[in-house]
Amino acid sequence: MATGSEPAAGTAGTTPAVPAAPVLDVDGVTLQYKTKEHLITATYRVGFQTYPADRFVILGPSGCGKSTLLKGIAGYLHPVEGEMRLKGNAIRDPGPDRCMVFQEFDQLLPWKTVMGNITFALLNGGKCKSQDEAREIAHEYIRKVKLERFEDTYPHMLSGGMKQRVAIARAMSMEPDILLMDEPFAALDALTRRQMQEELLQLWDDTRFTVIFVTHSIEEAVIVGSRILIMSPHPGQVKAELNAHLHTHDDVGGEGFMALQNRIHGMIFADRVLEEETQPQHA
Amino acid sequence: MTDTTTETHVRPEFVVERLEAARDVDVERRLSLFERISNVNAVRKLTILLGLVVLWEGYTWIGKVEPLLFPSFSASASVLWETLLSGLMLEKVWITVYVLVLGYAAGLFLAAALLTFAVMTRIGSDFLSTMTAMFQPLPAISLLPLAMLWFGLGVPSLVFVTIHSVLWAVALSTHTGFMSVSETLRMVGRNYGLRGIPYVFMILVPAAFAAILTGMKVGWAFAWRTLIGAELVFGAASGEGGLGWMIFERGDNLETPYVFAALFTVIVIGLIVENLIFRNVEIGTVQKWGMQR
Repeated sequence: MATGSEPAAGTAGTTPAVPAAPVLDVDGVTLQYKTKEHLITATYRVGFQTYPADRFVILGPSGCGKSTLLKGIAGYLHPVEGEMRLKGNAIRDPGPDRCMVFQEFDQLLPWKTVMGNITFALLNGGKCKSQDEAREIAHEYIRKVKLERFEDTYPHMLSGGMKQRVAIARAMSMEPDILLMDEPFAALDALTRRQMQEELLQLWDDTRFTVIFVTHSIEEAVIVGSRILIMSPHPGQVKAELNAHLHTHDDVGGEGFMALQNRIHGMIFADRVLEEETQPQHA
Repeated sequence: MTDTTTETHVRPEFVVERLEAARDVDVERRLSLFERISNVNAVRKLTILLGLVVLWEGYTWIGKVEPLLFPSFSASASVLWETLLSGLMLEKVWITVYVLVLGYAAGLFLAAALLTFAVMTRIGSDFLSTMTAMFQPLPAISLLPLAMLWFGLGVPSLVFVTIHSVLWAVALSTHTGFMSVSETLRMVGRNYGLRGIPYVFMILVPAAFAAILTGMKVGWAFAWRTLIGAELVFGAASGEGGLGWMIFERGDNLETPYVFAALFTVIVIGLIVENLIFRNVEIGTVQKWGMQR
């Protein structure tokens, strides 16, 4: 189970007909960042492709550079090696064609209402020219996340789950080429978290957006993802890509679900043992 | 569960079928009139003020103090009333407030310019922090002799020292506010395409507004004290001076009730700006946004 130490394509089942072009092509990307005293290589020659309507999950233990990788895709970090291409164009800076949903609840502008937060994005992101047009689109997405009653509420009056819904609505309203989600449900309580996962899947059923979803929860990865990229830590490298499109909340605890979950668990766990044995090689 | 060393002590369950009505105790009692009145903040504070007035008036009556040195409350109050009616006091207030508004606005404008420069470039940031470190501990009033040399006796000198008292306080706390804007909000701003000056005014300024407001309050307090102080030194260049000058001139002429009347006015204006203007700005912004309780 844990023998595949090099990046391998998904092994479970055969993939259906491949769409012509990937939305996102990450090609041998090495990302580094500096702390006060160290230069840290967060990801090392990571490569993968995301296709339209993928629910692409990046999964790995803390320290595997998954959040850094997402920030790289968002354009906040520049790779020292390799390239990331969105619809064929190299990613250089942050932009509204890749909308990000963060883990932190303070991602909403506290000085704007729920409606204001969304129209702010639509107007500044260049999707809408007029306030009326922006309000109309914002209204539609607020309805999609079931927050009509809170349109004119300021973020500090909302619960954590509601804030994340607004953030998701804001990102989705831009209809970006790709939606980037950085552990968006990690700070929520278990019940809200489950509800949010279900709602996200419903939204995906409606609009079939392309999303990259970063998480460190295996269960969440299997529920939310259609394809799972597993990363190993220090530095972050691609360990495997698996298919999970058959699993949702409905079969949590089912045989296939448990098998996949255990398989992933084994990979991450084996990786740790392997790493302890081979530590010196990483120099 | 049977192989535990300490066995669970199983007790009989119970459910209360009918709850007894609470007797001999008020479940809910309306507070007495006295309790309710003394719960009002303003009432308690007014009582203190009233007590002070009684003390003052009593002291001047019983102690038979020289009215030239320490006039009674009633004498000071009647002078205040008179000067308000005759328009003299309002004229003095206007002269002072006019200079204040000029200096305050110019100070804010310069602070905004410096801060924008500081946010965009590293050299600007270094410049700002060096300048604030240098000028913040320097009482603006100590620049008055220089200002008088450069700008002469008059409004420009007063404006100059007022600017100094506002600029560094506002710049310092705004800069600190900008630095503490969360990384997430910054990334959100850039995600939706904000850059340069729009980024400063649409993300940094509102996100740091609590700190900016604090800076503006401190700046206002400095400016008000500095200006009244500067007017004490001079301020009657063109034959008319403001409140500070009134305090100095009337004190010199031993018209002590006028001094007290002017001091009252200085206090009242200070209170109005702090408790009415700034308070309402706070309620309408940072409190509404949940950034401050």
